[in-house]
Amino acid sequence: SRPPSHNIVPTSLILCATYHSEGHSGQYYTLPPTHIQKLFPYGLPPRFQLQIKTFNEGCVMVRPPALELISYLKRADYSKPPLRYVLYGDIGTGKTMSLCHALHYCYSQGWLIVHVPDAHLWVKNCKELLPSSSRPSRFDQPIQASQWLKNFKITNERFLSKLKTTQRYVWTKRESTEKGQPLGELIDQGVNRMKSSSDVVGAVLRELRLQAGGATEGEGAFKLAVAVDGVNALWGKTSLKKEDRTMCEPEELTLIHNLRKMMKNNWSGGAILTALSQTGSVFKPRSAYLPSELLGEEGFDNMEPFVPVSVSNYNEKEFESCYLYYLDRNWLQHPHSRSEEGKKELIFLSNKNPSILERLCAFL
Amino acid sequence: MAASVTRPALSSLCKINSNINGIYSLTSFSRRISISSVLSTSAVTTETEAAGRGVRGQRRSKRQAGEPRTERMTVDQDWTAVYPTAASFKPSAVPLPVRMGYPVKRGVPPAKKGNLELIKIPNFLHLTPVAIKKHCEALKQFCTEWPSALDSDEKCVKHFPIQVQSKEFVSAGLSLRNPDVRIVTLKVKLSSLNLDDHARKKMIKLSEERYCKDTDTLTITTDSCPLRQQNYDYAMYLLTVLYHESWKTEAWEQEKTRADMEEYEWEDSPSQKKVLDTLLRMRALGAKDEVEEGTREELLGQPAVQEYRDTMLRLKNEGETEENLQQYKEAVKKLFNI
Repeated sequence: SRPPSHNIVPTSLILCATYHSEGHSGQYYTLPPTHIQKLFPYGLPPRFQLQIKTFNEGCVMVRPPALELISYLKRADYSKPPLRYVLYGDIGTGKTMSLCHALHYCYSQGWLIVHVPDAHLWVKNCKELLPSSSRPSRFDQPIQASQWLKNFKITNERFLSKLKTTQRYVWTKRESTEKGQPLGELIDQGVNRMKSSSDVVGAVLRELRLQAGGATEGEGAFKLAVAVDGVNALWGKTSLKKEDRTMCEPEELTLIHNLRKMMKNNWSGGAILTALSQTGSVFKPRSAYLPSELLGEEGFDNMEPFVPVSVSNYNEKEFESCYLYYLDRNWLQHPHSRSEEGKKELIFLSNKNPSILERLCAFL
Repeated sequence: MAASVTRPALSSLCKINSNINGIYSLTSFSRRISISSVLSTSAVTTETEAAGRGVRGQRRSKRQAGEPRTERMTVDQDWTAVYPTAASFKPSAVPLPVRMGYPVKRGVPPAKKGNLELIKIPNFLHLTPVAIKKHCEALKQFCTEWPSALDSDEKCVKHFPIQVQSKEFVSAGLSLRNPDVRIVTLKVKLSSLNLDDHARKKMIKLSEERYCKDTDTLTITTDSCPLRQQNYDYAMYLLTVLYHESWKTEAWEQEKTRADMEEYEWEDSPSQKKVLDTLLRMRALGAKDEVEEGTREELLGQPAVQEYRDTMLRLKNEGETEENLQQYKEAVKKLFNI
């Protein structure tokens, strides 16, 4: 229904992220609203969520980094240990968006999604930090853990009844989850009982790791996509303090500890997609964007061997596409912005950086 | 005119009234004169004229300045005669139209005549190339010939690898001595010393900040002894000791850890272990526990692994850049057959 001059992919290709190829680079495709609700309750960048609300649709530009990632995912062998992909790039170039695009591909292929929208939220500004019930040296974060479990439930509804636990978990003297119970029960346990929610997260992750590559056919088969945004938070510093006023190390947090175990490639049948992020990071300089700068030595040693995927600013074609999209949605109200000169000004001011361009256009 | 007359009048009054603490009388006198100059001149002229005539009679008049020397300078003159030694800037002797200073409002920087800024700053008008040539000619009779065999820098460094620098000071004052004269700096390139790998690393570690990595020079500066001769001996002694110590291997050097290493080494690194683990896991998912020596060597010998090793070394030793990362990416892709 839209004229082709706006470079928006016709609606028949909405769902088929599998068919995105190099030729579609620079074009927009729409995320179906049901998918957005299920897959990304909190996954998308906040400004993009506002844009979805304003435009009444979520349109994502198809860009080379995401296409590269999807091509690797298509070609990878899932009987082998998972490959780790790290999206890196300067601030505002579209790492989170590319990650979400790739994740949407996985979702449309029917994978099980483990998505941590921003690992930085787990290492700073936590209101409650309880000493762990299971291990004395660790600390729990009940609010973050139960929030994550709720989101996990929304995203992966259909798997919850199919997967069963492989061992007995004891939470307190009176509560335990038996072997062979559906995963959904485990998650309900975590959501209802906030105190043990961090340990539930650990149990869920463990179950998924064990069962991901297990059955190759039939009911139990699934591929696991682990997506972590801001993965450098796992090996950086926290801004949380323990009760005796000393700084908390990341290993001492249950959630971080379990997530680190997930990042190792000692399981099979899935892929680990990560993106680095400086914006939310704690104690990292603003100019740092390369993997070893943000991950640190420990993080780099833990993450390697990984495939680094570079994300950069828009090129000419992509900028053109974004500009036409905003024009098409009547987002650029200022009359000067529609002229050639206005476009040149936008190029100059934003340096074709996606987030800066988006912020600039919001004023016009 | 009144102003020009008052000055000699005041100066003569200074001499006359030298006994009196005449500041107050002088100021009152000057005030009177200034007031009188404001008043009609006719009534006062007789008075000032009388005063002027009287002063002129007592003291010789000031000579008028003749034309400046610059007018009579030819283009091919001998500049060393104008400025043979270091001297302050004389506007009448320098024929250049130099301007210096903060510009007057909506104007230009002030001219050179009577310009204090130009006089204050040091000038090198006495060190023109011609003057330097003359100095060199004069000094030649005290010098010996440069050895003809040492005609290039490389030969100088090859035959004389150690450079010793010290400063001389000449000053005319109450004392001719300058304490800074005792400082001796010794520079030597480590490539010209006979060191093996272990000795070189140990020497660099021992010399800490005295070693410059970019130029591969070790610089030893000594100033602890009072005489230059003693400092020179001490510097040579330090060099000898460093050399001999770095050749020795102590017992505790066996405890060198990965953190002490200067460069990243791939062997026995966590990176190598991980790659091995991953490859083994990829090979046979069931047999995770067997790590035979044969398979280990075989796995490590694969070209993909070697390439991965090279890119890792480059990343860690040279720092991370976009190209390094791209190469690393290619290596990882080859390793996992994407």
